[in-house]
Amino acid sequence: MNVLRTEWLKIRNYPAFWWVMAMTALSYPGINYIFWNIYKEVTKKQSATGQIAKMLLGNPFAYPETFHTTAYFSSFFVFIPAIVVIMMITNEYTYKTHRQNIIDGWSRNQFLLSKFFDVVIITLMVTLLYLIISIVVGIVASGNSTVNMWSQSQYIFYFALQTFSQLSIAFLIGFLVRKSFIALSIFVFYFIIVENMVVGYSKVKLNDIGRFMPLEISDRLIPIPAFLGRLDEKAYKAGLDAINPHIYLTFLVIAVVWGLCYFFNQKRDL
Amino acid sequence: MAVLELHHISKSYGRIQALKNLSFDVPEGSVFGVLGPNGSGKTTLLSIILDVLKADTGNFLWFGKPGSPDMRKQIGSLLETPNFYHYLSAVNNLRVTQSISGRGNEESIDEVLSKVSLLERKKSRFSTYSLGMKQRLAIAAALLGNPRVLVLDEPTNGLDPVGIAEIRELIKELHKKGFTIIMASHLLDEVEKICTHVAILKKGELVTQGSVDEVLVDEDIIELSAHDADQLGQILSNYPGATQIKREGKFLYLHFPKGDAIPEDINHFCFQQGIALDHLIHKKKRLEARFFELTGN
Repeated sequence: MNVLRTEWLKIRNYPAFWWVMAMTALSYPGINYIFWNIYKEVTKKQSATGQIAKMLLGNPFAYPETFHTTAYFSSFFVFIPAIVVIMMITNEYTYKTHRQNIIDGWSRNQFLLSKFFDVVIITLMVTLLYLIISIVVGIVASGNSTVNMWSQSQYIFYFALQTFSQLSIAFLIGFLVRKSFIALSIFVFYFIIVENMVVGYSKVKLNDIGRFMPLEISDRLIPIPAFLGRLDEKAYKAGLDAINPHIYLTFLVIAVVWGLCYFFNQKRDL
Repeated sequence: MAVLELHHISKSYGRIQALKNLSFDVPEGSVFGVLGPNGSGKTTLLSIILDVLKADTGNFLWFGKPGSPDMRKQIGSLLETPNFYHYLSAVNNLRVTQSISGRGNEESIDEVLSKVSLLERKKSRFSTYSLGMKQRLAIAAALLGNPRVLVLDEPTNGLDPVGIAEIRELIKELHKKGFTIIMASHLLDEVEKICTHVAILKKGELVTQGSVDEVLVDEDIIELSAHDADQLGQILSNYPGATQIKREGKFLYLHFPKGDAIPEDINHFCFQQGIALDHLIHKKKRLEARFFELTGN
């Protein structure tokens, strides 16, 4: 409790934290709103094309699919909360407050635990945000129909697990690099460019070996939404089947990431 | 009883050996100065006893026990630079210190801020503070909850003369109350005025350590003067037991092996030779001179 309380004292009055969380709070509903509007535009047409599209796509924003669809779109923006995760660890090194925390009486493990809690707290906040969005979108898109409302609620867990895993990787980069600008650049470059290139290339040339890349492992917890899956039913089915093994792999990634943090935290000078 | 015992501490940074086989004790209730030129290993030593750095070999004991987080909670420390969250106010930074260390409470936060003259700026962000104010806040954090042991690395760094004098008085006051203060500094005048014990480091090695009197006094020096300084110089030129005689302005300095100078005998000798002294002092060597001798600078 002491560790949590202390982290709250650090976060509570940290303007950058709240600014980035506000950006997250705008971007997550924003991306879902954009795709929802696109969906509405396509399906509202009275023409034959519009009606075929409506039949083909179904209503991906209504219950129970809303949990899957909003999780998929929201996960595009995990790099925004990753910024705050990286800032919160690199700030400790910039201001040398990590040393002061130890000098004042924390053990090295308590310091690492405090940062673990930061990642957990941010994951919970982001997941709560996603949950609110999916429920609101679901209510608006479903009208009165709430049949099997929670039948795809497992995506709440998948989303939380994916977010925690990817934020943990961001944390590891910040923890090892220590310089905020360099750590942020590495994470964004890797998140947006490197891994997408490797995964894309491996799908074509390397028997999809890219599915074992650190971020891709948890990306596959949330496959493309059902309406997009109808374009390639076989691939969609394979994506759904891969979720369970990727849950275990994601836990493995999380264990490796925090294991590395623990190892370096014990070994290196502050 | 020793508050802190160091046993054969060594530490290297790559090929550079920062500390070499350091051993000494810090007595309870002392103001213990760790002296040395830049790069002599003072901050490395303090970092090791505060568990920020790990020693390559050797160990240390606080109150006879190995260092631990619980032990550190009882020690108020200022290491190298004031380390605070720039976006937090003074009072919120001290709340973080209080939360981690368990030392003090809301009331004592105001108390220590008042002690270092920061109470009026307690709600200002740390990033808006001057260097001297940051240093004061670091001292306030170290004092929070009245820890019985303080470890202060260059505590008067960045302070103006008034601030330096205030901190000096504060340390003297804490010493009177029985606190133990371990202080690293290269300001010899400051150490000479405050410390009861010193350890002098040079390139990571312990040159000497002990009470200030033991370290400073390696010989006896008698400073004296009379109306006729030339005549005084003549009659003392062959004074029995004196190893050296020097003249600086109107004063003469007679040097003796440690413990051999007897001022009464000198006074008596001069009077018998028909000269009356108007000044006679048994002097300690200045720490500055001793420091330069010991460190070879």
